[in-house]
Amino acid sequence: MKALQTAATGMRAQELNVQTVANNIANIRTTGFKKQRAEFQDLLYQDLRRVGSSSSDSGTVVPTGIQIGSGVKFAATSRVLSQGPLDQTEQPLNVAIRGDGYIAIQLPDGQTAYTRDGSFERNQDGEIVTLDGFQVDSGITIPQDSRSISISTDGQVEVVVGNDSNKTNVGQIEVVTFINPGGLEAIGDNLFLETAASGTPQTGAPGEDGRGDLLQGFLENSNVDAVAEISDLISAQRAYELNSRVISAADEMMQAASAITN
Amino acid sequence: MENAQLVSLSRLTALNRQMAIVANNVANMNTTGFKAEGLLFEEYLETDASAESFEFSDRDVHFVLDDRSTTDFAEGGLQTTGNQTDVAIKGEGFFTIQTAQGDRYTRNGAFTIDPNGQLVTHDGSAVLSDGGTIQFSPEDTDITITGDGTVSGNVSGEVGRLQIVRFDNPQALNRIGDNLFDGDDAIRIETPRVSQFAIESSNVDPVLGITQMIEVQRAYQELANLMGQQNELREEAIQTLGRVRVNV
Repeated sequence: MKALQTAATGMRAQELNVQTVANNIANIRTTGFKKQRAEFQDLLYQDLRRVGSSSSDSGTVVPTGIQIGSGVKFAATSRVLSQGPLDQTEQPLNVAIRGDGYIAIQLPDGQTAYTRDGSFERNQDGEIVTLDGFQVDSGITIPQDSRSISISTDGQVEVVVGNDSNKTNVGQIEVVTFINPGGLEAIGDNLFLETAASGTPQTGAPGEDGRGDLLQGFLENSNVDAVAEISDLISAQRAYELNSRVISAADEMMQAASAITN
Repeated sequence: MENAQLVSLSRLTALNRQMAIVANNVANMNTTGFKAEGLLFEEYLETDASAESFEFSDRDVHFVLDDRSTTDFAEGGLQTTGNQTDVAIKGEGFFTIQTAQGDRYTRNGAFTIDPNGQLVTHDGSAVLSDGGTIQFSPEDTDITITGDGTVSGNVSGEVGRLQIVRFDNPQALNRIGDNLFDGDDAIRIETPRVSQFAIESSNVDPVLGITQMIEVQRAYQELANLMGQQNELREEAIQTLGRVRVNV
């Protein structure tokens, strides 16, 4: 009975769908998190009677054949890259990207990762680092006795040192865009890595060439919408149930068939 | 007696296939752009060559034959996703996708951009415009798709118009999986209507799916019962008729 396997593919797909939704909901308060959406595709079809095969000697053809599908497969988890809401934190080293792009982060193993989570801090040497202590790529050091830190929308970091009344520029936070940001590989900790699918990073000043602006004192919240996720969860759960009903119906049919000879 | 069983068997086989189709519809309840499938049956008359040569002609025996599967091309619900490369077609039409085997057609408008800047499906096959593939420049960050399918990037400007086609007989389209259809004689729609940031969800109606399933299941059980009874009948006939009468 083909229906059994077909319904099983449906249950497996919905299970993964629920997992995706669960991860979205778990990250509903994660800074810079972008929600994922499960994409499905139908599996191959079995042609019991091919469309266009001849149906008589006089050359007539079958206008529509019989095709029986074999279920569903999980195609992709695509990321929805819409802007998350901006929360004001008033921390001078918190930055949010308004628009497209990522901030590069230097990982301890030498790789460069990209993030939209701009909750930065200073480390013991005065460098701007992430909450895990990884250096923000351009390597900006805030001098010891600086008083006020300001980060402009184009990423210029300026501080007032000691009793100096003028601001000193200590560096610029750059924004990186990708042609296919959906192709970045998520490695957890709000970090992404460049892949063959994402294309090469395009680094530049914030606000230029379609790159987003930086907003000091704000953090970008996750773009997960609780209501949408719950309705997705309900639909996934119902779909799972329906598939399991098909399995039990197919099972009862087989039982009926085996009972013929009783 | 034999015929009754064979006719039942032809129906059981057809029901079995119908169940497979119902299962496939239910499994694809959340598949973007999926179109529900149905199965049509027809009678198949046994050709009895020698019917006229008897005084009482044989009655025709009607078998069940599943004749063709049909596709319900009704529009599925529009689901907003917020992804700028997602498009849904309003009304009839299919997107044209370039695959290694030639042009294929789909209602699934969940697209993405590949590292070379082309608009592609999640399988990496290029989405076609009126003038070939759709190519963005690496600086494009905002993509706009207007209601008539014109695609533009914020840096490269207009990059093409989605090629949306229709078919005179969409029932003749062949399903090849991966949300794709294969067909000949595509006719370009000059004024398509699409909407960006949305995809078309599957048009499988869960209520319909479940009622069909129950219907198939019950029909199958009844037939199985009937076959059981026929079996008993035959068994009894053999026992009764085969008993040797010893009346001296």
